[in-house]
Amino acid sequence: MQDVTKAFGTTVAVDAVDLDLAAGEVHALVGENGAGKSTLMRVLAGFYADYAGGIIIDGRPVRIGHPRQARALGIALVHQELSLVPELSVAENIFLGREPYSLVPGFISQRAAEAGARALCDGLGISLDPAARVLHLSVAERQLVEIAKGVSANPRVLILDEPTSSLTYQEVRELFRVVRSLASRGRAIVYISHKLDEIFAVADHVTVLRDGRRVATAPAARWTEASLVHAMVGRDLSSLFPRSPADPGPVRLEVRDLGCRAAFRAVSFQVRGGEVVGLYGLIGSGRTALAEALFGLGAADAGEIRVDGRRVTIGSPADAISHGIALTPEDRRRRGLIPMLSLRTNLSLRALPLLCRAGFVDGRRERSEVGRLIDALAIRAASQSVEVSTLSGGTQQKVVIGRWLMAPPRILILDEPTRGIDVGAKAEVHAIIDRLASDGMAVLLVSSELPEILGMSDRILVMRDGELAGEFRRGEVTEEGIMTVAAGVAAAGRPDV
Amino acid sequence: MGRAAAEPDASGPRPTAAARRVRLTFATALRDYGIYFALAGLVAYFSVAVPQFRSAENGLLILLQVSVIGIISIGMTFTILTAGIDLSVGSLLAVAGMLSGIFAQREPTILNVGLALALPIAVGIVGGALNGLVIAWAGVNPLIVTLGTLTAYRGFVVWYRVNPIYDLQPYYRVIGQGALGPVPIPVLILLLMAIAAGVVLNYTRFGRYVYVVGGNRDAARAAGISVPLMTFSVYVISGFCVGLAALIFTSRLMAAQAISGQGFELQAIAAAVVGGASLFGGRGRISNTIVGALIMGVLFNGLVMLNVPAPVQQMAIGVIIIAAVWLDGVLRQRR
Repeated sequence: MQDVTKAFGTTVAVDAVDLDLAAGEVHALVGENGAGKSTLMRVLAGFYADYAGGIIIDGRPVRIGHPRQARALGIALVHQELSLVPELSVAENIFLGREPYSLVPGFISQRAAEAGARALCDGLGISLDPAARVLHLSVAERQLVEIAKGVSANPRVLILDEPTSSLTYQEVRELFRVVRSLASRGRAIVYISHKLDEIFAVADHVTVLRDGRRVATAPAARWTEASLVHAMVGRDLSSLFPRSPADPGPVRLEVRDLGCRAAFRAVSFQVRGGEVVGLYGLIGSGRTALAEALFGLGAADAGEIRVDGRRVTIGSPADAISHGIALTPEDRRRRGLIPMLSLRTNLSLRALPLLCRAGFVDGRRERSEVGRLIDALAIRAASQSVEVSTLSGGTQQKVVIGRWLMAPPRILILDEPTRGIDVGAKAEVHAIIDRLASDGMAVLLVSSELPEILGMSDRILVMRDGELAGEFRRGEVTEEGIMTVAAGVAAAGRPDV
Repeated sequence: MGRAAAEPDASGPRPTAAARRVRLTFATALRDYGIYFALAGLVAYFSVAVPQFRSAENGLLILLQVSVIGIISIGMTFTILTAGIDLSVGSLLAVAGMLSGIFAQREPTILNVGLALALPIAVGIVGGALNGLVIAWAGVNPLIVTLGTLTAYRGFVVWYRVNPIYDLQPYYRVIGQGALGPVPIPVLILLLMAIAAGVVLNYTRFGRYVYVVGGNRDAARAAGISVPLMTFSVYVISGFCVGLAALIFTSRLMAAQAISGQGFELQAIAAAVVGGASLFGGRGRISNTIVGALIMGVLFNGLVMLNVPAPVQQMAIGVIIIAAVWLDGVLRQRR
């Protein structure tokens, strides 16, 4: 790709980027959210007819204006948002749009599709039943189907866009094995990600994009984590987990023997004002159910919750809010934001009763309070009236957190606050969390990212199979130590580097 | 998406940043105010094509013709904003109108007059509350519930009094046929309702919550808003609007008929939707709904003056509705 440029309206998403992909190589494309990685690859995959610049395949310049054209040229894109049809089978999904015909014209040969799918999966080392409906598959299995679908067209270039966002350690390692076997068979693989440890595990070459421009390209061996972050963000790594020394105050939240039917049981812990307590657990450990029970989104049926020493019952979010508890949800798009409403409306939502007089909203006060919050959180947006759906993931996350800060709660529960946002925005969110704790808020940080838990928490709680399996102080434990407790076995460690 | 380019580029096939910005603001203006342009265009066209169109009396006539549907569509906007819908408005109008007519027929004592005027509104509120109760707390889909009440309310009014009531007392005429100076009373009521509804939606906490509930129900709940209460409220509001509209309608007709109001729900929905309200909730404005109703009113009025036969009118209006929504979708994509 040479000097490729793509703009949407006034926003230039990709600015004169050069990219060279060689056969048999895994080339990682790295950058913050909004850096242009997905857009660049979508240009290559034919999604945009109106790009500027040139694409040269095997020495021949081509103009790719339609996905079908891209497919014909041997370019396959495996999407970030899975594009499978749940009601159809694995085989049907793999051959979607290219169904093999039977002897009777117009009819699809089920047998040929399933045989083809099985051959494909065997070749990749994936064990899936081609007749199984995608509906019944786990997220990881669906990801593998997506990859099989991409490979089924026998592409020269296979583009994987953030393939591991919903996968666990083991599944990621499986994915890497598949990727490397594909590369060894002569394909060029583009691996888009912002997860640095994965990049080092699987890539041969790394290109960094920032603000739509290519910042640097070099073999993976020549990058270090620090130099990579610096290229992506223009800042240093050290500020990623800015946790100042804690000065814990009185116990704000106390949980005694809390239980919730199947999800968790007999959980007891305390959170003091001014401290950040990290809650870690694998999928199924009950940590999300625990966070939700504390906020009234799920109901605890055993044990007690105490706020500032007083026993409380929390049956709904309204209850939790009245006791000074706030929760930023894991799925910000579904539970947090109202996408078609403005930045101002989303931010002022929680505090609206306080901005009102006799049921009427005080517009001027709202605007000034929202303005204050936007400055404090460094939210980048054209104006207060923009629709939040147009903002980047990192900014959206700040909005979700920011909503609670206008009328600060006493206890803040953050569920995966930096999921899916880039390094730069992560650091900013962490700085905000640190500031809140230093100002005396009791913070419960629920996260599945070990570095985040280790970097930001004053105390760490580990859940396993619905029970509190371990509690550590800051500095007392390593990543492996936590994994051991969380998984109940010796840690698998990072995917092989 | 990437941030805006730092400096405008001199070379290459790309348009300059400035040109892009101009195109964007134009697109935004078109999206937000497009229907006003459309209305202006229609008025201009008919003013030129048909000389009788171009008069204050005709203007007031259009407003008068639009007032009943207009008031109903105000209530409909509330329900649509919450991603719901109220299909029962036509049938409820017949019920409210009939009950009003029964008392309007009687001797004009204080009690009878009071009941004739207040009963339709009360009936509207109760009918709306019934919808609201089932939708909000039994959690049944609004489309299904109001489809059911559309049928039930109609059945009720036909069973209750299948023959129309024609001999209403003269005083009753005032609401639907009276005027304050040059302005007909129904138009006044429409204006007042529109202003009140607009103020509520734009400036009150309740109004804000209506948008939030429609925009993202889970987020609303997670923010501590009582979604059932909000849902219930919008259907009560819709019912109230229907009651008011029933009063005006019955008074204009000077007849209470069990068959009144058929098809009103579709017209009200069309007004809201042409006005840019999204059936998925969270998007829409009262002012735009009124413009939507006016567009259809102007079209209807103008086409009649052009002696276009009624079925052709219907086809034209149908096409306009589709075109309006399609255009709104297109303009929304281009950001």
